[in-house]
Amino acid sequence: MLSFFARRISLSLVTLFLLSIMVFLGGQVLPGNVGRAILGPFADQRAVDALNHTLGVDRPLLTQYATWIWNFVRGDMGTSYIFRSPVAPFVIDALGNSMKLAAVAFVLVVPIGILGGVVAALNLNRPLDRIISLGGLSVTVLPEFVTGIILILIFGVWLRWLPISAAWPKDAGFFTQLYYLILPSLPLFLVLFGYIARMARSGMIEALDSDYTRTAVLKGLPWRTVIWRHVLRNALLPTITVIATQTGYLIGGLVVIETLFRYQGIGSLIFTAARGKDFPMLESGILTIGIVYAVATLIADFLYSVLNPRIRLGSDQ
Amino acid sequence: MSKNYRILDLIRRSRSPLENHLIDGLVDGRVSRRDFIRHGSLLGLSLPLLGGITTAAGLSGMPSLARAAGAAGATIRVASSVPAAAIDPVTIADAGGLVVLQQVAEFLCVDGPDLVLKPALAESWKPNDTGTVWTFKLRKGVKFHSGGEMKADDVVASIDRLADPANSSNALSVFTGILQKGATKKVDDYTVEFHLDAPNGNFPYMVSSDNYNAVIIPASYKGDYETSFDGTGPFKIEKYTAKVGASFVRNDNYWGEKALPDRSEFTFFTDVQPMILALQGGQVDIINQMPVLAGVALLSDPSVDIISLKSVAHQQLHLRCDSDPFKDPRVRRAIALSLDRDKLVAGLMKGRASPGNDSPFAPAYPSTDTSVPQRKQDIAQAKQLMEAAGAGKGFKVTLTTERYLEIPEYAQLIQNWVKEIGIELELNILDQGGYYGDAVFGKSNWLDSVMGITDYGHRGVPNVFLAAPLKSDGTWNAAHFKNKDYDTLANSYIAALDLEAQKATAGKIQNLLLEETPVIFGYFYDYLTATAKGVAGVQPTAMSQLFLEKATKA
Repeated sequence: MLSFFARRISLSLVTLFLLSIMVFLGGQVLPGNVGRAILGPFADQRAVDALNHTLGVDRPLLTQYATWIWNFVRGDMGTSYIFRSPVAPFVIDALGNSMKLAAVAFVLVVPIGILGGVVAALNLNRPLDRIISLGGLSVTVLPEFVTGIILILIFGVWLRWLPISAAWPKDAGFFTQLYYLILPSLPLFLVLFGYIARMARSGMIEALDSDYTRTAVLKGLPWRTVIWRHVLRNALLPTITVIATQTGYLIGGLVVIETLFRYQGIGSLIFTAARGKDFPMLESGILTIGIVYAVATLIADFLYSVLNPRIRLGSDQ
Repeated sequence: MSKNYRILDLIRRSRSPLENHLIDGLVDGRVSRRDFIRHGSLLGLSLPLLGGITTAAGLSGMPSLARAAGAAGATIRVASSVPAAAIDPVTIADAGGLVVLQQVAEFLCVDGPDLVLKPALAESWKPNDTGTVWTFKLRKGVKFHSGGEMKADDVVASIDRLADPANSSNALSVFTGILQKGATKKVDDYTVEFHLDAPNGNFPYMVSSDNYNAVIIPASYKGDYETSFDGTGPFKIEKYTAKVGASFVRNDNYWGEKALPDRSEFTFFTDVQPMILALQGGQVDIINQMPVLAGVALLSDPSVDIISLKSVAHQQLHLRCDSDPFKDPRVRRAIALSLDRDKLVAGLMKGRASPGNDSPFAPAYPSTDTSVPQRKQDIAQAKQLMEAAGAGKGFKVTLTTERYLEIPEYAQLIQNWVKEIGIELELNILDQGGYYGDAVFGKSNWLDSVMGITDYGHRGVPNVFLAAPLKSDGTWNAAHFKNKDYDTLANSYIAALDLEAQKATAGKIQNLLLEETPVIFGYFYDYLTATAKGVAGVQPTAMSQLFLEKATKA
């Protein structure tokens, strides 16, 4: 078990290292340079060169990368080329915001999605199953900006029940922040609901059809016990994997939602950094998401192994 | 109204020959009242004096500004784009950043919505006889927010900082060939002279709000503007949070009339759609700059007012004069003749634009020669030109451009129109980074493409448009247009101090460019600002500045 996790952690570190190199090289391929991005296309080339020199982006690429990665490993994310101030507060704030939004979306979608899947499976091929399956599929395929704008128009512009912008006032308490996060989390709910419900449904169908369920029923166990003890435990395994993989999306891939709701998440931070070729911000942002993703996957693996002893045993053998 | 020659004579006695020539032009009817006021302001004549002269010349005086309609003491909430970089007067280059900067810091003069230059930190200015030295008299008793008095040393340091190539100055492209570091000289504490590289009849615009970096800040500035936001403006910084927003409070020590609002709040958005929703949802009062296509829904929204300024912002369609298939000017003219400019204005721009005539001389400029005929769609003539140039069978060519504002839609319209004269246009629409590239020849789709569309912002005078994209040695000459006659005419226009001389040269330039057509200027679009009903006294400029000191809310 321990060696299993040690191996998984080492693999994650190698992946993150390779990711940092790929992001750096990818950033170099993008046209233009930092000085040009800051001063604009119509700036004098002498001014652009002077700015690049001040920022240190005219140094050899290897030097730039090595300096940055060495500092990152020691806990220093560097200084933003664009904002000319330390990167860490930007990344930490943005990550915190993204996690808050992701948490609200998760708290809404995970239980309701699983419940939807379970109810659908228990009502297989009945109208309720079709409503949940087809309804979930329909809302999942709708892009977030479409559902986002529709929700804003209904709840923000017409009814004026919820704030359009997710940026809460300064010093806002927990409940105020929650209030501001309801509207932006709804499009995420709609995107993920169908996905999670579908996985839960298929897991349930498989589990309900399995030998151990049949055995449990034949043993005369009450139906509720069969579902809770035998079916759900096995049915949720693939769902947990799906939820873990969606963590990366919820933390790092919400550029559209963040733009639409003016939310200062890490997705838009990375997007801005990529456009401005702000390498320290870009690298730090992406690597931070990479770390979150790696940790989420490790937690999923852990949960999986707790729920499924075969994995534990397999790893120890 | 009759002319009062006695008063006119009295005024004329104390004026320079150049100023008197302008006054004569007004009295004789050679110069319109509107052009007189614009050009008079450029020469440094005060607005009350200009009003007095127009009244004495038998015309109505200056238009009075509408009085504030709502209550003072409000908090005005503005939606604006996210500043693209740190707020620094030297490097700032984008609308989101410059609107924040302009709330706290001021210019020597301000280019108003009618292109009339209005005094701000400078009370008056005037050129020498040749236009090589411009002398600015500074306002006395102006205090920085940090406490010190604004004097000539601060002006010299602020402008020198921008003209120094070592400083990463975004204004360097404005001052190159015009004003060098060290050429701004203090005469006394309240007088500054600008010694120019060459005569320049429009120089005051280069140190006005037209050059958004040219705010006057303390001489001691060391490059850490976000720690102080020091300036002389009617508002002081309250709080600035990068990427999020900024708020300002009234400066009670302001040299002029105190601001009416207690506070203003700027909220930064990365996209215009959320701005529109925020205005409709009552979370902001103003959208600083609203692109017409994105904001179509607001144009007819009864709860929204649109402030529409005639600007000269435009999209330049360049045709490479040194490459096939555009070497022959007849082919270039044929393409220009295939465009339906009325449809561009009415359809693409929803009437919020003026037709272009393939030169930078927009209808809004007082020096534009309006007697030059407007080019209109003429497919038959375009086909004849294609035949004459040996391109009757047509050809295939790529139009490279950027995904910005209405440019992709404009490109599609051009694609349809040139099909009628046998040209098959392939569109290559890139993001802005990909289009501009390194923005130097050989490393830029913008400057290297055989045909492209590039966005150009507003300028109060056409100098920059005449030089950089069109002169043989122009740094933005994407058309690779090299014409000695044009270069001479452009230099002559830039040097001219007299409006009528400018207009005469403008006419020649306009005719030459119609003949050569290296760049197609299809339309000049209006600058739109949206405000919630009940918000009054808001004064935007087409350079994306937003003056809020007279703003009120119902």
